[in-house]
Amino acid sequence: MIAGIPLFPAILVDIIGSAANIAFAFLAWRHARSLSRRQPGNFVWGYLFYVTFAIAAFTISRAVGHLVKQFLLIAGHAEVWYVISPYSGGFNTLFMISVAAVMIFYHKGVQAYEALENEAGKLKNANRELEAAATQLQNLNQTLEQKVEERTEELSQSEKKFRHLFSASKDMVFFCDSANRVVDMNDSGFEMLGYRREEGTGLALMDFFTDPAGIDEFCRRLSDDGYIKDLDLGFLRSDGTAISVLLSATAIFGEDGGMIGAEVIAKDLTKLKIMMEQLAASEKMASIGQMAAGVAHEINTPLGIILGYSQLLMDDFAEGSEAYQSLQVIERQTKASRKIVADLLKFSRQSGSSREDVNINDILGDVMAVTEHTLGLSHIQVRRDLAAEKPIVVGDAEKLRQVFVNLITNAHHAMLEQGGGEILIRTANGENGTVMVEVRDSGHGIAEKNLAKIFDPFFTTKPVGQGTGLGLSVSYGIIHAHGGTIEVESPVHDPQRGTVAGTLFRIRLPQSGYEGQQADSPAMSV
Amino acid sequence: MESMIPAFSRILILTPILSLILFCQDAWALQTHGGSEGVVVHQLAHIQYLGALGYLLWDIRRSGFAGVGWLYLQRFCWLMMIWNGIAFVGHFAQMALPDGAISTEDGYLSALLLLPVSFGHWIYYVTALDHLVITPALFFLFLAMRSFSRAAASDKVEGGR
Repeated sequence: MIAGIPLFPAILVDIIGSAANIAFAFLAWRHARSLSRRQPGNFVWGYLFYVTFAIAAFTISRAVGHLVKQFLLIAGHAEVWYVISPYSGGFNTLFMISVAAVMIFYHKGVQAYEALENEAGKLKNANRELEAAATQLQNLNQTLEQKVEERTEELSQSEKKFRHLFSASKDMVFFCDSANRVVDMNDSGFEMLGYRREEGTGLALMDFFTDPAGIDEFCRRLSDDGYIKDLDLGFLRSDGTAISVLLSATAIFGEDGGMIGAEVIAKDLTKLKIMMEQLAASEKMASIGQMAAGVAHEINTPLGIILGYSQLLMDDFAEGSEAYQSLQVIERQTKASRKIVADLLKFSRQSGSSREDVNINDILGDVMAVTEHTLGLSHIQVRRDLAAEKPIVVGDAEKLRQVFVNLITNAHHAMLEQGGGEILIRTANGENGTVMVEVRDSGHGIAEKNLAKIFDPFFTTKPVGQGTGLGLSVSYGIIHAHGGTIEVESPVHDPQRGTVAGTLFRIRLPQSGYEGQQADSPAMSV
Repeated sequence: MESMIPAFSRILILTPILSLILFCQDAWALQTHGGSEGVVVHQLAHIQYLGALGYLLWDIRRSGFAGVGWLYLQRFCWLMMIWNGIAFVGHFAQMALPDGAISTEDGYLSALLLLPVSFGHWIYYVTALDHLVITPALFFLFLAMRSFSRAAASDKVEGGR
């Protein structure tokens, strides 16, 4: 029969449970400690560390008390336990109160921390938003700066491009204000007008427009149309020579709609015009030459017949008779006509000629030997500047002599009125295998309107009876037949003295033995 | 600060405290604390502990912490609160147990709760097995701390704090 319920299970559970409690409490505290060490800034882990510490202290105090009690009682030392028991219970109570205190009061700290953290979070958020806004602003600023830089670079490139276009243009480009003063002009413009940049400061249109009417036209068209396209004008260079330009301009308008200036581009057409004139003259001379040749052939035959019959008739009449004298006049005039015809043939290069090496210096020496005395009588001095190296050309010496006689005679006539002057004869072995001969006088020169006509057959400014107008035509034909060119300058542009009155004929003939020599390369300059 | 207090003064301050702890039966206090005061204080401590655990449980649930660690901690709170209740009742049951209700004639390990076993006796017997509650409670505390520790180690802080 059972006398009671055994308490052994309760004792066993007490012993095992106490031991297990010590282990679990200690392990929990260790994990909490490692947690708080890993993240020391986390207040919650700190809280759990203190809570587990208090629980461990409580549990250990309790469990140890229980174990001591059980073992003392098992060992039969109950009296010892009765002595210890109040202390064990006291500590147990103390730690239990501590656990509760830590749990509650420390938790309040956690709440305070949470509140602080919450506020800190808000501040953090505000900071983050501020940072984001600042970053956004910075980005915007950077983007703006970048855009400004890009735009500035583009503008700079564009400015460079247009500045280069302005400065490197071979045509004249300039800006002028409403008072027709030049504000800015490129180097080509100054070069075209013969000014240095510093000289050109304050230049006005009236300083270089040859015709004041041109300025009026310029202003009127800009004012009416706002632009000018291909206006043919003459500009005056600083040395007084005129150049032809083709001008285009665009008006610049101010904010109030009024014209404040214009941008102008002018192209120098002087050389082009000369070339066009030369081409036209060349074509004209060619056609005249053909016509002259035809006429000469046709007239030569009847002239020969007239001369033959007149000479035959002269045999039928006694010398000194009226009929004989009349026949002599016919013979003389027929011969004069034949000479003209012969000259025409020379001009048209239809007459025969020999070909041999000719020293131009010698030719000129021959010519001067004949003419110098006459020139001296007219107070004309002759200066020679002959090439030291013999200027040899292949040609007909007689015909070349005729050319220089013509030129010297013309120079003589040009200086008769002024009662004297100077003739400068110059020869040189020029570039590209040419021989250059210059005959220059200090006479009255040739009027600009006549310059294009001087090589025309029968063109003369001399009084009737003093010239046939064939001298220069024949010279032109001869030089052309020699594969050379003849050009005229009047007035003369002297490198030292600038523009001076007079006329300069410049002949270029192919040098003998030069490989690049062209036997017949007709070209003519006027 | 401590170094500013002379050793002699420290002994003077600590002596009464040690005397109170070591010789509490004859505590030299103005008010006497004898009799059942110890039990009352202990029982009040259980109530305070229970209240603190309830507060913690309420706060964890209120805060809405997620994660296994917080779940384990809630279980610890529940079990520990239950244990506090058991212990509280157990102390009263032990005090109410009459002398001679337990026989240790055959030794302490063969002690018997003598028949007839009344309701009070059963309460005593059941509450004597309180480790069946407190040990799992501490086990859950260990699990909770381990879970937090592992989560922190892998930078996954539970509860999101």
